[in-house]
Amino acid sequence: MEKRQQEKIQKFEEFVDSRLKPDLVRAIGERDKVFEQQKIFVDLRRNIENLEKNSVTSLRTLVNLGSEVYVQADVPDTQRIFVDVGLGFHVEFTWSEALNFISLREEKIARQIEEYTLQIASIKTQIKLVYEGIRELMELPAEKPPPQRIF
Amino acid sequence: MGSPRGEVTPFASLFPVDEAHKAVKRVEEKIAEKQKEMDHLKEFIADNNSIINLVSKLPEELHHDIMVPFGKAAFFPGRLIHTNEFVVLLGEGYYAERTSKQTADILKRRGKALDSQVESLKANIKDLKAEASFFDTTASEAAEGLVEIREDYVDEDLGEEHFESALKGKGESPGLNEKTRMVEDDDEYTRLMARLDELEKEELAAEDDDESIEDDPVANGALEDANEQKEQSNTIESDTVNSEHFQNAISGDLLLYQTHSMQRKPQEQEKIEDVAAEALSNKYQSDLSLNDEQNRTGSTIQPLPKAEKLSSKSSTHETKRHLRNEKASVLPEGKIEAMSSATQPVHMQSARPPSNSSKTEASQSGFDSSKAFTGSIVERSTDVLTTKSATLPPSDSQSKPSRPVSRFKMQRR
Repeated sequence: MEKRQQEKIQKFEEFVDSRLKPDLVRAIGERDKVFEQQKIFVDLRRNIENLEKNSVTSLRTLVNLGSEVYVQADVPDTQRIFVDVGLGFHVEFTWSEALNFISLREEKIARQIEEYTLQIASIKTQIKLVYEGIRELMELPAEKPPPQRIF
Repeated sequence: MGSPRGEVTPFASLFPVDEAHKAVKRVEEKIAEKQKEMDHLKEFIADNNSIINLVSKLPEELHHDIMVPFGKAAFFPGRLIHTNEFVVLLGEGYYAERTSKQTADILKRRGKALDSQVESLKANIKDLKAEASFFDTTASEAAEGLVEIREDYVDEDLGEEHFESALKGKGESPGLNEKTRMVEDDDEYTRLMARLDELEKEELAAEDDDESIEDDPVANGALEDANEQKEQSNTIESDTVNSEHFQNAISGDLLLYQTHSMQRKPQEQEKIEDVAAEALSNKYQSDLSLNDEQNRTGSTIQPLPKAEKLSSKSSTHETKRHLRNEKASVLPEGKIEAMSSATQPVHMQSARPPSNSSKTEASQSGFDSSKAFTGSIVERSTDVLTTKSATLPPSDSQSKPSRPVSRFKMQRR
């Protein structure tokens, strides 16, 4: 009995380590990527709102040529802005159109993040399940839920 | 005097096969890491170069129309101005405003630093690779069951034949007391070998005056038995890397080798005079040095193997080993026949390139006799020999078996 139990426990542990944990790591990585995207669009929106607020028509910037070598660049007309809409396309927008698009984009990104969060949660619960199973096999006392305050 | 008086240590006990394999894997992982780093660095270098180009090209125009990025996901159409002014990051938040030429210089200096990093990484990888190959061969050798034999060195009299025993694994430091010897079981064979040794000595004495390069090993062989043997064992030990290959390559050439030893006996018998064709002999020497190495028995005292021909040395060892293995089967038939059937190899060796004059051959053969491999001599059918002699690569270690054949042939002429 002991031996079989040990084997089962080992199998469970292996399952957790080789399947569930990498899945968890991967899902978290994907969600982080989407977070970055979200951040980019949030920044862009803020910048455009700033431009609008200050009625900036022309712009002087430093453009990175790569390897942190910058060259001065001048933007004579800031009314036209090209925004990346995915699949390698950039669409010419005015400010208001750009803002519109960005808010749509942000919604989409938020939904994606939600999905990933759900996925991560499910993987976490699976891991917890397996651990509980192992604990039962080893007949250790079950974990108490964290003490909750009762109001 | 046949039985080795040493300790036999199976290689597997010194370097467990599994651990050797694991070591190989570890080292290979490290190599992979370093390789990745190197790829990184190479990318940086490529980027650097392309930017140097760009920086040099920009000042050609007053303005460049570009799309100015605005964050990661938006562009503004605009133009590059002040095309000769560049702001370069020096590190730690410090920037420098420089002209195009100055920026190019900065970037070039950065490229040099990257290059030196790449060089050091390359050296690292090379070392790791050497380590990996060492572990690899050790693992394979251990798996094959090579044994290390350590024996006290005893100065044997010249009359005995000593054959090199199983080769040690590579990497063993040559102990002063180590000598490899093959077990000599057959009395008749021993007598035969003793007689050959005597003939050898006589030839050595005759050769001393005539040969130049060949004299050195000959003289040394005649005079410094102990040193030779030690040297031989040392060279043998250092040849472990090649030993395996030679073993495989020469396993099929055992017959040829035996035939070669067969030639040797007639040489001794004939007491071929060394012709004073030293130039020829030298040239031939360089061509056939491998052969000479091969002819030398590790255990015979007279010939001193050339230090540079380690590979041939190992092949000699291999062949000797094979000879020994086959000795039991071959001896009964080969011993006496060898003496008398010297003529056969002559035909086989007709394939030998005609560049060797008879003089060279003669001196060569004389030189051979001094080397004195007196392994078991086998009488083989001509077919074997012809095929062997037909595969003469030029001064290649793999072609050693053919060398003796040709030498004998020349001697015959």
